[in-house]
Amino acid sequence: MKLSVKLIYFITGSKIAVVLIFILSVPFLVERIASEYTNYSLRDQQKKVMNNVRRHGVGFYLQGDKSYGSYTMLKEEYIALEPAGPGVDMDTIQTEERIVEQDTLNYRVLSYTFRAGPNRYLLEIGKTTGSINQYNKPLQRIALYVLMGLIAVTIIIDLIFTRILISPLKEIIQTKLIKRKFPFKEPAVPVKTSTGDFKYLDQSLIDLMDQINVDFEKEREFTANASHELMTPISILQTKMENLLAEENISEATTMSIIGMMKTLGRLKKISSSLLFISRIENAQFARTDQIKPAKLIADVLEEISHRMEEKGLKLHVSLSDDVTLNNVNQDLLFQFFYNLINNAIKYNVEKGSISISDHRGRSGYSIVISDSGIGIAKEELDFIFDRFRKANLGENVGYGLGLSIVKSIAVYNGIDVKVASVVGEGSKFTITFGDFDAKITRGKP
Amino acid sequence: MKVLIIEDEKTLAYEMETFLKKAFYLCDLAHTAAKAAECIEMNQYDFILLDLGLPDGDGLSLLPKAKKHNPEAAYIILTARGNLEDKIAGLDLGADDYLAKPFSLLELQSRMQAIARRKFNVNAETVPLGDFSVNLQTRFIYFQVQQIELSRKEFDLLSYLLLHKNRVLTRMQLSEHIWGTFADDDYDSNYIDAHIKNIRKKLNTYAPTDWLETVRGVGYRIRK
Repeated sequence: MKLSVKLIYFITGSKIAVVLIFILSVPFLVERIASEYTNYSLRDQQKKVMNNVRRHGVGFYLQGDKSYGSYTMLKEEYIALEPAGPGVDMDTIQTEERIVEQDTLNYRVLSYTFRAGPNRYLLEIGKTTGSINQYNKPLQRIALYVLMGLIAVTIIIDLIFTRILISPLKEIIQTKLIKRKFPFKEPAVPVKTSTGDFKYLDQSLIDLMDQINVDFEKEREFTANASHELMTPISILQTKMENLLAEENISEATTMSIIGMMKTLGRLKKISSSLLFISRIENAQFARTDQIKPAKLIADVLEEISHRMEEKGLKLHVSLSDDVTLNNVNQDLLFQFFYNLINNAIKYNVEKGSISISDHRGRSGYSIVISDSGIGIAKEELDFIFDRFRKANLGENVGYGLGLSIVKSIAVYNGIDVKVASVVGEGSKFTITFGDFDAKITRGKP
Repeated sequence: MKVLIIEDEKTLAYEMETFLKKAFYLCDLAHTAAKAAECIEMNQYDFILLDLGLPDGDGLSLLPKAKKHNPEAAYIILTARGNLEDKIAGLDLGADDYLAKPFSLLELQSRMQAIARRKFNVNAETVPLGDFSVNLQTRFIYFQVQQIELSRKEFDLLSYLLLHKNRVLTRMQLSEHIWGTFADDDYDSNYIDAHIKNIRKKLNTYAPTDWLETVRGVGYRIRK
């Protein structure tokens, strides 16, 4: 999951959780507020009553009676003033039941005793709690609407902001990881951002790529130099042996050992020149300006190699369209590319086996499939078959382990995608996909 | 024919000289660019074999000057650098051929022969071979006036053996010539045998081919 999506999920989730907690706690909060308010208004009324008592005496209320009582029409509030018994001394606000005209009602009751003249009195002011809670439902509803609206607005803002915030990361992934193809030739451009973490990440990636480039350069240089330095002594040995072989009076045994030496030297020569060849490809020493028809190229390869195929009695099926042209490739390299692949298909095939070469056009490009009925490649070896000096199949003619390395170098250099599928004992299938090609007529037409 | 070998590796130059002397070439050796320039001014050569990596200068820069003094000579560049630019630059400067080190001396002589045919019209006529005659220019082989069909590789093989007549060529040397960099040492030896068998079969219907010898365990030779 992408970071931006995760962030949005988290932000939205946390907001919704906060709102839910708030909505659920509204009744409790309202009750608290209402009770605070009720207490306050009870005290306020108490103050007013006491003011009147102080100014006008208790008689202002009692009017000669022993006690006084009054309630509003719907009994939501009442006030009572009566003489207090001896020893009663109160100043409380409590929720209590009171019976007013046969109705039992829950009241918030302020009880207060005071002295007026010789007597002590008890003042009670009550307010129904029912009237306090009636606002809960509409309050909850309105709060829900308002908060949901606010959430929607803030999520949109968050979306926009996280996009902007995360965009450098996206750019880093795009420019440094997805689009960059090894070897990194053009220098990496730092991503513009004011976020320190992204700057650090970007710079680290650039440094890493530079380091890889430096190491790669060194390796390339080494391969080229080493191969070059090997060629001169090999030349000397080869010419010496050739001259020695032409001597008139050498014994048969000497001749045989010279031939043996020449064979060994030939192997050394082959390895050095293959390594040099790979390093030249990696040094981009081959122009990629040719346009070639794969059908024609493969026919040439097959002609060059047909003797090996005949010897093993292999059946060959070739089905390639004539109208496809590959662009921006190097003919010599592609020849070598298909030569090595087809050569392997022969070399690792079984007697009287078969090789099939076909093509198709898909969304990803033009593909050529070379499949053989050979000995196959074990699953654990598949990842390594393109490595230098790796020999997966240890048969008699294993070669030098550089054929597929050359294939890979050529593929990378020419932008060719190579995929391998294989089953041990059944054969291997190499799918080679070209992105840059032209095809004029649809397949099947003459 | 007179050959100037410009090569700073003395052993290599000496081996080349030994080989070419046997093929009746007259050789001069130059181990430095300065010595080479001197030789070129003093003498006329048919072939100039030019190594590019010389201790006192680049072989390529020697080429234009050499061409001025020896315009008739054939130039073959020999190099261990083997990069494409050198090859193109060399051929652009008028070199006739280019051989990457390590090369076989047989291959060198074969290239020199080809240039000689092209440039100096040597061996342009047919060459006798037993009761047959071979035209290396048109790449045909005849029995009297009858033209015999040989495949491209069969003819390559026959003409290579003919060029190095009286010398035993190993299967490896032959397959290297036929398949070049695609030769797969031991692997291709059988095909050399198969090709020789085919050549004998095709020619034997006209006349015996006892001039084409099998040297047991080694290879083949044309004896004349």
